[in-house]
Amino acid sequence: MSELLDKIEYCIERGKVDKVSPYPPDLRGQDGSDELTKIALESGMNPADILESCNKGMLKIGEKFSRNEVFVPELLMAAKAMKAVMAHLKPYFQTGSVKAKGKFVIGTVAGDLHDIGKNLVSMVAEGSGWEVHDLGVDVKPVKFLDTIKNNPDCIVGLSALLTTTMENMAKTVQEIKKQYPGIRILVGGAPLTKDAAEKMGADGYAHDPQSAVEFLAKFNKAS
Amino acid sequence: MNLFTRKVKAEGNCYSVKSEIEKLILEKDEIISSLGYSTNSIDEHFGKMIDIAIDKFYSVAEIKAGYKIADFEKPEGAKDNILLEGHVFNVGKIVYSQLKKSEKAVIFVCTIGDKMEKWAKKELQNDAAFGFIIDTVASAAAEKAADMFHNFISDEMEKDDLNITNRYSPGYCNWSVAEQHKLFSILPANFCGISLNESALMNPIKSVSGIIGVGKEVTWNDYLCDTCLMKECIYRKKKQTELNKKEVTDDR
Repeated sequence: MSELLDKIEYCIERGKVDKVSPYPPDLRGQDGSDELTKIALESGMNPADILESCNKGMLKIGEKFSRNEVFVPELLMAAKAMKAVMAHLKPYFQTGSVKAKGKFVIGTVAGDLHDIGKNLVSMVAEGSGWEVHDLGVDVKPVKFLDTIKNNPDCIVGLSALLTTTMENMAKTVQEIKKQYPGIRILVGGAPLTKDAAEKMGADGYAHDPQSAVEFLAKFNKAS
Repeated sequence: MNLFTRKVKAEGNCYSVKSEIEKLILEKDEIISSLGYSTNSIDEHFGKMIDIAIDKFYSVAEIKAGYKIADFEKPEGAKDNILLEGHVFNVGKIVYSQLKKSEKAVIFVCTIGDKMEKWAKKELQNDAAFGFIIDTVASAAAEKAADMFHNFISDEMEKDDLNITNRYSPGYCNWSVAEQHKLFSILPANFCGISLNESALMNPIKSVSGIIGVGKEVTWNDYLCDTCLMKECIYRKKKQTELNKKEVTDDR
């Protein structure tokens, strides 16, 4: 049984989605995370154990990414393999037999329409077991506040690509902290630096998707 | 051999520039490098995605560029601002130091159109790695088109024995992106099919706008990354890619 879980973990790490997927070439023709999860569930495996294996796989690819051994495309293939697993696990999340690591609310701040960076972080966070609420782009502070009201246990992620929208990011951080001082806020985007993030009152600065999930894990432990 | 072949008078003091897309050569190695890989380390699967994106670029891109020449003035006591056609631009110390000896300024826009970005967005929903690679190819193409436009302006100005500076864009080198609004107000509405939204974001996104200084005393300089705080800037990455390439060549 654990061999099957190891295989699922390996498929996530390598970004092997299903049998017909040509990627990665050395696993061509073999079952992917999609088929293996189906087999595992049919054989009565605990969905929580399957999820745990997936998280281990995501952690491994994330560590490789941090060491510059792989790059964004590999990370996205792993997220895609994870998405295939999540489709099978969805009913178990709904019944509560499997739980997400936590809720992550993410959006690109008001005045900014860039979404690629935000989408990458969303995919990797989801792939790492987080329930992601993606609010999209050009998100006004009030929308973040409304979402926090309905999800008071969430962590918030703010993205910006433009130097001018960094000001909107700072305002959003301040408005969230004013109403919900206990909410943890993670910020990221090209014009940002760790210093700028600290100055605006954010709890963390992520320069790439992997560092974002590392922060989420850290915040989770601390809460 | 330049992508841009000849200028055509548009309205006022503006010119649009004719282009021949086949003269824009997208190097696969450059795309591979901008994704973070070395040529030999990229998986064949992603390599094929780059090939597909480059091929399609030539059939869907709509390259357009245009410019206006304006007198270059400095407000009294200026240290970090310039005056173009009645608009004061707060370009910041870095850009000011490079432009201050200009006699004229070329205010320009350049785009590859919106087809590549729309395709990338669609693919991001199905196959995110492919969508990301398409977006990377499109960004590289827009920058290369802007490089070739820069060369075109250099050739044009050389005819009058004038030199040019680097190109500077709002949003880089501590020059606020909000000043795009002033820059676009100098150009005809929807010039080259590019519009600006409230947040100063260009549509199509894969567009480049900015100013090039022109004069007898101005010079082209290497990037000024040491004086800028934007660690993830595309020009910093480009400079690093060029340095890496040079190191490989020197080692041979």
